[in-house]
Amino acid sequence: MTPEEMKKEVRTSLYDVYDPETGLNLIDLGLIYDVEWSPENGEVKVTMTFTTPACPAGGVMISGVERRVSTISGVEQVTVDVTFEPPWTPEKITPEGRRQLGWG
Amino acid sequence: MKGLATRYAPSFALVRAHLGFGIVGSVLFAAALGGAAWNLEGHYFQGKILGLVHLCALGWILPIAFGAMLQLVPVLFEVPLRSERTAWAALGLYAIGGIGFVGHIALLATVASLPLSAFLLFLGVLLHATHLALSALANPVRARSLTGLFVLSALAWLVFAASLGFMLAIHLWHPYLSVNHLMALRAHAHAAGLGFFGLLIMGVGFELLEMFLLSHGAPAWPGWGALALVNVGLVALCWNFLAGPFPDLALVGAAAIALGVVCFAIRVQMILARRMRRHLDASAWLSSGSVLCLLGALVVAGTLSFAGLGDDMQNRLVLAYGLLALPGFMGTMVVGQLYKIVPFLIWLHRFSAYVGLKKVPTASELLDERSREIQAALMIGGLLLLLAGVLAGQSLLRLAGAATFFAAMVYSARNFLVVHGRRP
Repeated sequence: MTPEEMKKEVRTSLYDVYDPETGLNLIDLGLIYDVEWSPENGEVKVTMTFTTPACPAGGVMISGVERRVSTISGVEQVTVDVTFEPPWTPEKITPEGRRQLGWG
Repeated sequence: MKGLATRYAPSFALVRAHLGFGIVGSVLFAAALGGAAWNLEGHYFQGKILGLVHLCALGWILPIAFGAMLQLVPVLFEVPLRSERTAWAALGLYAIGGIGFVGHIALLATVASLPLSAFLLFLGVLLHATHLALSALANPVRARSLTGLFVLSALAWLVFAASLGFMLAIHLWHPYLSVNHLMALRAHAHAAGLGFFGLLIMGVGFELLEMFLLSHGAPAWPGWGALALVNVGLVALCWNFLAGPFPDLALVGAAAIALGVVCFAIRVQMILARRMRRHLDASAWLSSGSVLCLLGALVVAGTLSFAGLGDDMQNRLVLAYGLLALPGFMGTMVVGQLYKIVPFLIWLHRFSAYVGLKKVPTASELLDERSREIQAALMIGGLLLLLAGVLAGQSLLRLAGAATFFAAMVYSARNFLVVHGRRP
């Protein structure tokens, strides 16, 4: 699998991890900033954010990402980095996410 | 790392004990209200009304506020609780003292066990407030934020209200206060209701509303305005009650509080206008009803202060003020927030371990929306009927309102039990 294919696979898998309050998956909510893949050691690094730094479900979402990505064939290690630079804004919600939230 | 507040979450048992205490208290209060509704009239300083007010505040509102704060302080301040053992000890003192105190006050039993139960209750409240404040102060940056200052000033007002309450309990047993006890009682009620509960709801509400509604960018100035104005207004009002009367100071205090509440309502409106979640659920409707009750209480308070009313109408308006403030403003807000907090807690402790492994329901899917809507409609309908009955002096209307309100509280307990029973 090429790095691009693996990144795509990881992103697709994150459609299965949901924010418990809104019910939106992390991709459509716009929480996933970046995905990196190191074929040498099988490590996937996910850089993500939360809608607010004091998100009560933050830890759960990190664990969910780790669990889901580690089920992908070829992944040996998952690292999740949380950043608030740039901070999340509603503009990061995808059109599908907006539709699910009742807009359009 | 920021954002990992769940690692500081307190034990489920601690929060559940407080919330369970409050939910049982809400049903007992509604039952007692139903029993007293037919004759719910006259001056407020009578055992029946004082007992109801304290059953509502101490049996229902305060334990839930404590339970919610034990869960939220670690999240909002990004710190662990200092000592869960202290929180359990505080709950024990609070429960023993509170049950004894409400029993004494309902019967106006001015015996030596009245100040004893009041002392245990006071210790329980003091321990809870000190523990929560010290936990929050472990993060000085968050403590100086808008939310932090709301929470800390709310806890300061709680200690002040509890101190006054304890002094009043001793005075009931052995009169010693030089100040008019009815004036001290007003200071106690306003410090507890607006100082503690009002400021807590405003501060935490801003944070939770933005989080739940995915709303960003609402200006902070109305929040700072509300914080300053309500605190200054309450100091003026309490000074008037305890050292007055100073009619001009009371007027300034009342005006400041009213402006503060308007600032709060403005910021809530700004948050709502920027929300990304279009659909408002029953929780949001109950919270909106709560804000309307607070505004209604201000209108009644204004009418009481400035209009020349006969004794009978004055008594009815005081009761209406109590209904709007306690089961109205505080009760509907508490139930509305519990519809968010309880499902989230159950989800966190029972379902979150499966996130990423299989499809799990969201927190709100743990209870169907219809059940929440029915309960909210019963609660608001019951309160409106009760209010109409009190203002019109109609016993039958009061009884119908109290019966509807009782059904609402039994239904809310049922709803929380349903959520509690959900398992993966």
